[in-house]
Amino acid sequence: MANENRKIVDSRGTACPGPITDLSLAYRKSKVGDVIELWATDPGVKSDTKAWAEKTGNKIESVTEDKEKIVIVIRIVRR
Amino acid sequence: MAKKNLLIIGSGDGGTILANSIDKSMYNVTLIDKSDKHVFQPQYLYIAFQGSKDTMVRDEKSLLKKGVTFVKKEVSRIDLNERKVYTTKGKPHSYDKLVVATGVTSDISMIPGMQEINSKYGDYHTNIAQAQKVWSNLNSFKGGTIVIGQSYPICKCPPSPLEGIFLAEELMHRKGLRKKTKFVFFTPYPRAYPAEGINEVIEPLLKERGIEVMPFFNIDRIDPAKKTIYSIEGDSVKYDLPIIVPPPKGMNIEYNPDSVRNDDRLVYVDKFNLKIKGFDDAFAIGDGAAVPTAKSGVDAHLEAKTVARILEGKDAKFNGRTNCPFDTGYGRGTFVIGSYDEKVIKYPVTHMNLFMKHMMAKIYWESLKGEFDSVFDIYFKETEPSRLEKKYGTGKE
Repeated sequence: MANENRKIVDSRGTACPGPITDLSLAYRKSKVGDVIELWATDPGVKSDTKAWAEKTGNKIESVTEDKEKIVIVIRIVRR
Repeated sequence: MAKKNLLIIGSGDGGTILANSIDKSMYNVTLIDKSDKHVFQPQYLYIAFQGSKDTMVRDEKSLLKKGVTFVKKEVSRIDLNERKVYTTKGKPHSYDKLVVATGVTSDISMIPGMQEINSKYGDYHTNIAQAQKVWSNLNSFKGGTIVIGQSYPICKCPPSPLEGIFLAEELMHRKGLRKKTKFVFFTPYPRAYPAEGINEVIEPLLKERGIEVMPFFNIDRIDPAKKTIYSIEGDSVKYDLPIIVPPPKGMNIEYNPDSVRNDDRLVYVDKFNLKIKGFDDAFAIGDGAAVPTAKSGVDAHLEAKTVARILEGKDAKFNGRTNCPFDTGYGRGTFVIGSYDEKVIKYPVTHMNLFMKHMMAKIYWESLKGEFDSVFDIYFKETEPSRLEKKYGTGKE
């Protein structure tokens, strides 16, 4: 795991169009094997990321939530 | 106290509003731009889809208040460490305070095949000539598939891709070509409009008008020979007439340090005070700044007002407020209203909202000089998302 290309995408407190823009942008610039760690505050990000992962065939490794943020870890397995 | 030198780069609405707003007893204001023409860019939509002959261009100097020095030069390098701005000709400009308001340009080189279709079919985000090309292609269109969408997750004026397809559908209906025309709208987002509140308002309209939506469609490449657009998600769509929103990119200006920009050449700023990351004397506003809100004139306007207040030593904070007018065709419209912390409102589609959109265009030139500031203050207060939410809601979670 030491060599994995992990990118934090901080999408907390973003106005319209919101976190899905940042995920979409990170996906465009990613390669197979990359890990995207998406930080957001908008709860809609969970269902959007789930739908995105189903559509693109990529893998959500974890979804964690605390008072400050929602963290979704995504592994890019298909591009 | 001696006056300080404020240098503003870029004379779009953000730069012009800031230059006009700032207290001239505190600053010598220099506004620098390679062009001395000011274009009202939202008009591209009406040139492209309604054939408007009014291009809405004015001489920048006629829009500036007394006390602003306009310099027509092209900026090539911004040295934030040395506080110097270099131009392609003449001596560099020094400053005490700097505001970068350079906007974005279209970068069609990012997508294979885009160059060919962009030069053939035009677009309505780059310039007047490109928008006129869209109109001419729509006019000679006799039926087939019209495909409209944004080619990149970042988009100048987020409602504009949908405004385009709504107006194109209305046009074909009026020309009696609706039955011969299929409309496809693609988007990199999970739904037609990324913010749920507005999506719930416009989705029924898309259905009612028979416009097909392809979500999660990030353009990978375009094959002009096969007239097909492919997405990185593995989908494809065939077109007869493609009208594709080009990817925006920050201006090609060298920065020291280079680390103040991201790979889309947008300048990193603090989203509340708009200071360029790591600098206390330099700000970036408008489309060219990496602010997590819509790239729109309203935001450039509100950011300019925030920076003016900060430079005058007053308390001010930009809250990410959006207020993007959205023409949904057939004489009606809505607004995309939200902020960093407030979700986009499920704001209804009405004739009055479209009237407001057109009124804002009518008062644009005077508003650059601050002549409608008191009206805008009332408007923004009355339409605060927290107030509207009680009445209209923000759509489902």
